[in-house]
Amino acid sequence: MHRPLHIAGGLISLSLLLLLSTCSALYEDQIRKFDWRSTHVGAVKQVHVDLNHFQPRVLLSTHEQVVASLCPKSGEIVWRQVLEQKARGDIKLLQVSGFSDDSSDTAAAPVGSRLGFDMLTIQGHAPALVRGWNTNIGTIEWEWSIIPLNTERAQDALWFYSNSVLYHVVPVWRSHLEVTAYFATSGHTTGTTSKIMAAWIKTDSCLLSGTYFVCQDGKQLISLDLLAKSTQVIATSLEAEPTDKIEALAGLNGVLIANKKLVSVNKDQAVCPELSSASYVLGSFNYRKVVAYADLADGNLKINAVYLDNCSPVPELQMSLAFAEHYGTPSLRSFDCKLKRNGDGKSCLFLFGTSAESIVAVQQGRVRWAREESLANVIDTQFIDLPLADTEGTLENEMKGKAVDANNLKRDIVSAFMRRITTQALQIKSLFLHVIGLGPPPTDTQRAGLVRDSFGLHKMLVLLTRTGKIFGIDNIAGKHHWKLYLPNVSGFENAEEMRLIVQRSSKHFPLQPLCAIVAKFPSSGNGVLFRFNPITGRAAEGGLLQLDFQIKQIALLPETEKDFVKGILMLDATNKVHVQPKHATPLADGMYLYTANVKTAELEGFYVKHAGNDLTCTPIWNVRLGGHNSEQHIIGVASKNPIEHVHSQGRVLGDRSVLYKYINPNLVAFVTQAPDATHKSVLNLYLIDVVSGSVIFSMTHRKVRPPLHIVHSENWLAYSYFNDKVRRTEITTIELYEGNAQANNSVWSSLQAPSMPLVERQSYIIPTIVEALRETITERGITNKHVLIGTASGGIVEMSWHLLDPRRPISSTTQGREEGAIPYIPELPLPTENHINYNQTIARLRNIYTAPSGLESTCLVVATGLDLFVTRVAPSKTFDILKEDFDYILISIVLVVLTSGSLIVRHLASRKLLKQAWK
Amino acid sequence: MSAKQNSKKSKWALDFNVSKNADMPSPPGYNPTALVNQTEVVRDQRLVIKKSWDLALGPLKQIPMNLFIMYMSGNSISIFPIMMVGMMLIRPIKAIFTTQVTSKMAEGAQGTGQRIVYILGNLANVALALYKCHSMGLLPTHASDWLAFVQPQTRLEYYGGGVSFI
Repeated sequence: MHRPLHIAGGLISLSLLLLLSTCSALYEDQIRKFDWRSTHVGAVKQVHVDLNHFQPRVLLSTHEQVVASLCPKSGEIVWRQVLEQKARGDIKLLQVSGFSDDSSDTAAAPVGSRLGFDMLTIQGHAPALVRGWNTNIGTIEWEWSIIPLNTERAQDALWFYSNSVLYHVVPVWRSHLEVTAYFATSGHTTGTTSKIMAAWIKTDSCLLSGTYFVCQDGKQLISLDLLAKSTQVIATSLEAEPTDKIEALAGLNGVLIANKKLVSVNKDQAVCPELSSASYVLGSFNYRKVVAYADLADGNLKINAVYLDNCSPVPELQMSLAFAEHYGTPSLRSFDCKLKRNGDGKSCLFLFGTSAESIVAVQQGRVRWAREESLANVIDTQFIDLPLADTEGTLENEMKGKAVDANNLKRDIVSAFMRRITTQALQIKSLFLHVIGLGPPPTDTQRAGLVRDSFGLHKMLVLLTRTGKIFGIDNIAGKHHWKLYLPNVSGFENAEEMRLIVQRSSKHFPLQPLCAIVAKFPSSGNGVLFRFNPITGRAAEGGLLQLDFQIKQIALLPETEKDFVKGILMLDATNKVHVQPKHATPLADGMYLYTANVKTAELEGFYVKHAGNDLTCTPIWNVRLGGHNSEQHIIGVASKNPIEHVHSQGRVLGDRSVLYKYINPNLVAFVTQAPDATHKSVLNLYLIDVVSGSVIFSMTHRKVRPPLHIVHSENWLAYSYFNDKVRRTEITTIELYEGNAQANNSVWSSLQAPSMPLVERQSYIIPTIVEALRETITERGITNKHVLIGTASGGIVEMSWHLLDPRRPISSTTQGREEGAIPYIPELPLPTENHINYNQTIARLRNIYTAPSGLESTCLVVATGLDLFVTRVAPSKTFDILKEDFDYILISIVLVVLTSGSLIVRHLASRKLLKQAWK
Repeated sequence: MSAKQNSKKSKWALDFNVSKNADMPSPPGYNPTALVNQTEVVRDQRLVIKKSWDLALGPLKQIPMNLFIMYMSGNSISIFPIMMVGMMLIRPIKAIFTTQVTSKMAEGAQGTGQRIVYILGNLANVALALYKCHSMGLLPTHASDWLAFVQPQTRLEYYGGGVSFI
């Protein structure tokens, strides 16, 4: 009986889905037209430069758990393999055959033989995976693994390679060392595990240098040769206690770097103890071993080298070059030389890893190429409008001037008219001068093409990275316009990263836009502010400002009237508030602040009052979400985007009445998690008005655990989590409605809030692992909102809110259909044409940021992770501009033909009429 | 030049003004008083009244037909029902505006009554068309029709904050 109905409902929903799914696909010729991707490898861990004539290569492993090969000429990625995440992919050793010390040359077997290897990596500890790679194309040729008996001990395991054998060294702190040898390519053990008693080994002070296990103890280095027949402990005393951690010099057995000097614990290995440098590297030159070292002095990078056997300098390798400040402090990681083509002398490539996570290649006294690997860890982004062209700027100024003196209207009209005439005359004059080539030289930004376009799609993308390097990137061309490096800043506690704040937008010509970075000074824990111009990348308003208090939370104030700067309100550890810049202080009056303690799940609300010249901050409410035994921890906080506009205030129902949205701008979602005896893990969601502190809504999920991602916008909330019971990722959506009438249709006050909202909720299954969620945002909020879902496979799916709508009716009722809701199907479709990054996979996708463009229909998107992907989306299609494939020529031809045709025909018709009249 | 024009004008133009107000002599044998038949006049009068009542009641007579058309065309919004509704709405309105012209044809003792009936009938038709529009959902009578003009609420309180940095 019900069957035909169900089929009909299914058909309707299917057709609706098909309709929806066709809306955001990209045509083939649009590929890379609006988007670009830059690929990264991360901060370098181990690198090996090999400039042989057959196949020059740069092989490296990174802290982002990537193995890659770079082109030595350009620095482009030849191949890249992104290994497993977390501890499993942690690369412990990268061994290239023929590298290391002389004794290991046996590994250099012919390519393709089962005995040798080209390159091997060891990653993880339980299991420890040993992989052999084909370095030409980046494929794994073989793999073996070991599972240690004691997983916890194996965490600190070290590996070293010698004579085709890999040694697995497991230190049992303050007790002994367990050394096991494996044939590198097969994984067979050569014998039993040997235990070497060593009660002097301590965590965090030991390392391996070749075959030597070395521990630092005050001014002494205690070492032990693990391959020696007799386990003799050697003590070497240092001149002074090392300030930094000691390091091993790769390639030399038993040689360490302590206090910027080379120290050998191996009596067979002589070093040059008089050298002093920040970084050393071993290489060979003219078939002799060479130690190269590099230091930065007054912005100049000096590279020197000595022969290891007699400590005499190598003049061919000496060079000095200007080194840009934004790279940070370099440390020499590897070098290699080759004969020049024309046969005179050798050219050497020095590879540096820097404190700003760049990889810099120096050749022939200049920087050959540089890779900005800090972009693998972007923590915040902002899109900044570009400045106006000068002529438009004057016009804009004129408009402003008119608004200001509106009181004496009559004179104003005349003067405004005169001003308009003069500006336009000036415009014509400048245009003329420009044409004949006598105009003023274009400014830096104009020369770089950084001028606002008519649709506001061209913006400056400012990226803040975890190392403190800031980038100004063209969002259309992907060009790096400027780079800034802030050494000595760090993110905050509780995994809260540094913040990038726009204090003044580009709208206030001739005032320049202003951005600020809020960070922590790692040594003192005090706050740091850095103000800069996001268009030029130069420090502004004094640049770095060190605060004398710890920052607990920040808030952005409204614009001042004088210079249009949005002040930053900062709450310090003693719950006092400070404002920066100072003249914005009165605007902090009446602000509310809240802080959330992640561990205890306690929220605290404050009210800021400006009296006299002081700001007072009064605690007004607190909420404890910790549960009865304080086991709950906050794992997610989601507030709405402060620049969001909501155009539609309600939802039209099937009977044409309105369900008004509950749009509370002060609503914040908190998610807590706690272990549970019966349900394993419980997730609680709270929607809290952070002005009044009232809990608007709460909900519990049982047998559910992170990863949790939340997106909160307008009157809705969507969050993804992992359902442990059925082992799948789910998305729950919530919508809040005020009801059929608005309590107050002019103002919103959280202190006189309407009664509790109606809550609609629904859960959906998403057949992928969610890595990031973000809503699209547009200038006026008229365009539909889509949710961008970043998946673990590196795709971004644009999901229409119609599919996530919690009001999707379970049964296909007419009411739901008239409302435009699709009948409920638990699975969310992920059609490939909805992937906005088509085949441009974003490795380790971490976050998605969105920003409005000048066009109402278009939203700018940047996805960050190991790779960076910038694009734009139009959720309701580009309804406000002509399609780019719009046929202007055809239209103009048709217009011209029609007009001329009608003129000719009119003429003919009048002649005919005249003739007829004469008949 | 002007003389030539004048001559051209005089050649082709007929001057009607010349004998416009002059009394033309009746043809011979014509007696204007002889032809009037009293009964004929009365019958004509009655016929005119009947005809004009027909005219005045026309719109009212259309109502059942319109109802039938309305019922048949349904409430779906597509080109033909819209055209029909449009015609149904525009025709009576037009008719109301041209009442003067229509009623000139039938002037008599019952002229005002006929006019009122005529207008009322047309108004009834308009009402019917409006009802049809309403039932088709074309009239902005619901709150949802004005939703796009509802201004967003202005915000009184602003907040800042988040997870504690220390």
